[in-house]
Amino acid sequence: MTASMRAGTLETLDLGTVFDVFRKGRLPANAPELVDQVFGKEGERGCLVVSGANGIVGAGKTMQLASRLEPFGVPVVALDFAGAPDGLGRQHPGLVRTFGRERASRIMENTVRLSYDGKRLPAQLKGLRPRFLLEAIPEILEAKRAHYEVFRQAFPGIEIRSVTSGFPSSKLGVGIAHPAFPHEVNKVWEVVEEEPSAVTQLLWALGLTPIPVSDHWSFVLDVLFCGTTLAALRIHQASNMPYWKIDKHVRSLLGPNPLRAHDVIGAKGADFLTWSCLHHLSREYGALFEPTPDLEERKDTGQEWYPPKHLRPLVDWPPQESELSEFRTRLLGPLFQMTALLLHERRSHLSHINSIGELCAQFRRGVLSMIRGLGRETALEIVRDYHRLHPQAKGAGGWHPGAFGDMDSPSWRQLYVNAEHDGKVGIVSIGRERYNGDVDAELNRAIDWLQGAKIERVIVSGDFHLSGQMVGADIADFFPALESAEEGLRLSTAWSRTARRLNDDFRVSVGFVGGKRCLGGSLELLMHCHYLVARSEAELGMPEVTLPVVPGMEGCHWPFRKASPDQWPRLLDLLLTGSPVRAGAATGWLVDYAGPLEDALAAAWQIATEGRRGLARRKLRAGGLKGMRLTDGGGHGPGGPAVLAARKAILDCVRESCAKPLPEALLVQARLCADFMGSDLCRKGGIGAERAKATA
Amino acid sequence: MKRLKARFPDARIPYGTWGSSYFPAWQSSPLAEVNIGQFAGEAMNRVLGLRKVPKNRLDYLITGSTIPWHWKFWNSPLAASCMGQRLPGFHVEQACATGLEAVALAAAEVQGGSSETVGVLTFDRTSDSPVGVFPERRSYRRTEALSDVWDNFGFDPATGKAMIAAAGAAARKHKLDRGEVDDASLHCHQRYFETLDSGFLKRLLVPFDLLNSQGRPLGRIDSDVGVSRPTREGLRQLRELDTCVTSGTQTHAADGMACLLVATREAARTLSPKPEIDIKLIAKAETRTRPSLMPEAPSLAVKKLLGRTGLGMKDMAVVKSHNPFAVNDVIFSKELGYDWRRMNKTGSSLVWGHPQGPTLTRLLIEGLEEAVGLGGGHVLLMGCAAGDVGIAAVFEVGGKS
Repeated sequence: MTASMRAGTLETLDLGTVFDVFRKGRLPANAPELVDQVFGKEGERGCLVVSGANGIVGAGKTMQLASRLEPFGVPVVALDFAGAPDGLGRQHPGLVRTFGRERASRIMENTVRLSYDGKRLPAQLKGLRPRFLLEAIPEILEAKRAHYEVFRQAFPGIEIRSVTSGFPSSKLGVGIAHPAFPHEVNKVWEVVEEEPSAVTQLLWALGLTPIPVSDHWSFVLDVLFCGTTLAALRIHQASNMPYWKIDKHVRSLLGPNPLRAHDVIGAKGADFLTWSCLHHLSREYGALFEPTPDLEERKDTGQEWYPPKHLRPLVDWPPQESELSEFRTRLLGPLFQMTALLLHERRSHLSHINSIGELCAQFRRGVLSMIRGLGRETALEIVRDYHRLHPQAKGAGGWHPGAFGDMDSPSWRQLYVNAEHDGKVGIVSIGRERYNGDVDAELNRAIDWLQGAKIERVIVSGDFHLSGQMVGADIADFFPALESAEEGLRLSTAWSRTARRLNDDFRVSVGFVGGKRCLGGSLELLMHCHYLVARSEAELGMPEVTLPVVPGMEGCHWPFRKASPDQWPRLLDLLLTGSPVRAGAATGWLVDYAGPLEDALAAAWQIATEGRRGLARRKLRAGGLKGMRLTDGGGHGPGGPAVLAARKAILDCVRESCAKPLPEALLVQARLCADFMGSDLCRKGGIGAERAKATA
Repeated sequence: MKRLKARFPDARIPYGTWGSSYFPAWQSSPLAEVNIGQFAGEAMNRVLGLRKVPKNRLDYLITGSTIPWHWKFWNSPLAASCMGQRLPGFHVEQACATGLEAVALAAAEVQGGSSETVGVLTFDRTSDSPVGVFPERRSYRRTEALSDVWDNFGFDPATGKAMIAAAGAAARKHKLDRGEVDDASLHCHQRYFETLDSGFLKRLLVPFDLLNSQGRPLGRIDSDVGVSRPTREGLRQLRELDTCVTSGTQTHAADGMACLLVATREAARTLSPKPEIDIKLIAKAETRTRPSLMPEAPSLAVKKLLGRTGLGMKDMAVVKSHNPFAVNDVIFSKELGYDWRRMNKTGSSLVWGHPQGPTLTRLLIEGLEEAVGLGGGHVLLMGCAAGDVGIAAVFEVGGKS
């Protein structure tokens, strides 16, 4: 019997819990079995048909699925009108970049292009045995229904999913698999179905991220993204602020550039989709979602939001404080009201609602995390202020302030980090690829919760769902540190103390790397565990030097204290080059066990339950390290002045923090990290550039 | 205040919805580097935003400018697109009369019932006045490059004389005293600087940051760059270029834009932050004086205007003149018996420059704002324009201003 802080997101796919994954030593579903289930066994394999395959969605998804199904011998039929512009051909350079020319050719060879007239299916299709239709044709309800009918008559029993961004499953009569932009690389699919199906589990097994959502007009992503776009357009209406300038301020406050995104996706199609979602939502929920006249116009004309190149904006101005305040209200007010609607209608797991904004709409922080950070009363006040500016939005049953009522519940408090235990072993799973202040706070609460249950053995891992990898710190959290060394010190100290809890607060702790990579701050976090276990192929790295920044979570001394002096040059190389190393090649000096995924899962479980698996715990030397004569030596690759300066700062940090006893080393590293973050080099580097982008 | 029947009784200028850029002298600011039509459209959008006027309230746009600019062919519709609103409209120009003519035409548009809210957008860039090449068949020179501003200032084809010669000729005709002309110039400058220090201009003039084609800052337009601060002694010492005309008693070329709205009475009430203030155009008059006597033309236009309306100078709360030469104001004083010290109390185009299209628009905005501050009354606006033209109009600022 296990207990958990909150329901895990894997459970929403009927794939059990993260605890189950470790206890059973295997993933809950595997691709070969599910391919057999969906497409038939080898020799009888049917095909996947993507209709509307030359459109933006269709082409991206054809390539994404074709590249994953090609190893299983599942042909992909790309179906479209004879005159449709070649969307698939445009995908080829991207395939070559990702997979190389040879594999890209194989994927294209496995993709069969067929034309049809919209009424009769091509005769060749029958020979390919269609088993699954992914429909990506235009957002016209009757056309979609007729399309399904044609397929059902020709191929009874075929699985059908629509990529629609607006129509409910109940209106279409098929399940939904709504993918997120950019379609060739974004792994997220919102799925609507009564029970998690083999198709959905197959998407997960192929390394994609299906997220179950409820069957309503428009799904979570489009309520948030179209809603943000609508808020931007209303700001334009009220203030005359040009679209490009609104985008800058939206980016500064939230992260996305909604109007630029429409132009990039393709204004005509994207504007129509956004209008369609909002139009239907407004019929359901009233004025909160009512499209503005400029959107009405553009859905027909396809005119871009940004001016053409020859009329690039000329006039700018710093907005007055009152303008910024109203801007914030007009942006966040409707967004929070829409979020309350999503919660009221229980449209998805809270972690899903929160993460969809981050994974699919470029939100720097998920919308629930944002609301939680502001607090219930402040969030409600922002919506009330918004209603004073747009009174019509309050009516028609679209405002549910009670939805923010249980912000103290575990579902709200643990949006990113979950914890489970069976009374003996605890599992902490992190559902965000980038470590930030929210994750840090939630991780501390998870550790507290496990300690409250007197759990002494713990595995810390990704969540096998929303975070396929762990890529280090979220540099948005560093922005304040660029201006204030004290802020840098606070951040580095706080996060390092959290990491130390994994060493200090448990008898046995195991850091587990099950995804493609574990980098930077995420690696520093997990290296604080008594054991580090990883898939052999996982990349481990400390890319801070390339940003440049000095690692802030004790990466400059902690691993040295656990490695023998003859391995120190390897650790130094990791820090000074920024190049990753495969886990299999880092065993003994950074990783304690590396193997195939299922072996690694089993090893982690055995270490956590039995204390060891023939593995000695590498001793952590608490005193100052002696005999450390590390030099740069010049063998760490090329670099500009910033990288060279960062190498020197990192080397200094290694020397100084390793020379101190453990209790003092934390502050030494934090201070040196903070000092570097406050330097011009850091401000002009990658973090500074990101901050500039995020600043209006 | 005498109540008169307005020429366009249903048209109003909604108070507080106007604005102007600063007017930097030619070649002295980033404004010299940009497409002025695009700038004007984007700047009007900002002005309206600041004044809380959604631009979709406009249903027509009258633009006024006099110097060729790239894509001028498209005129009002293009400026409207740069404003971010696809409005119909038309373009008007008549040298320095343009700003006032545009307002009158906007009022006619409203009065005629064609439009409810008309934008008036005037602009010009004298910097680098573009070079036009005209292969005219009748010309003995097959191609001719024309530097629009300077060539025209230097040569009136109708008289064959330069504009500056008109100032000297008018000064001689009216037997002006150089000292008085210098003092009239000094008066305008002093009033301008007092007004600037009082913060009055900040209510009307809007600063803008300009961006280059990469989106990087090109500079900020936040002052009337090029305005000098003369002294009486300094003015006296300046070399006379023609009778009573020195560099201190004539204006300078500048760049800029100015805009306002003209709307139906009902629309104006909803557009203005102070709907109780009621502003209308009472009457307008124009004259054309004898060749090369342009500076006296405004006086003649005002006489015609007063005769038509029955108003006298004593009825005027505010008098503003477009005075490219201080000579204009001294002639006006003599002809109308009105002390130039009572005019241009917030400065004038003699001080802050002469971008042509928007000159009278900015003067009108300043005059209306001044009248509101005085509690209302009549505003007399006058100016000269190329071709020895004089234009004058009287506006009534009523209500609880």
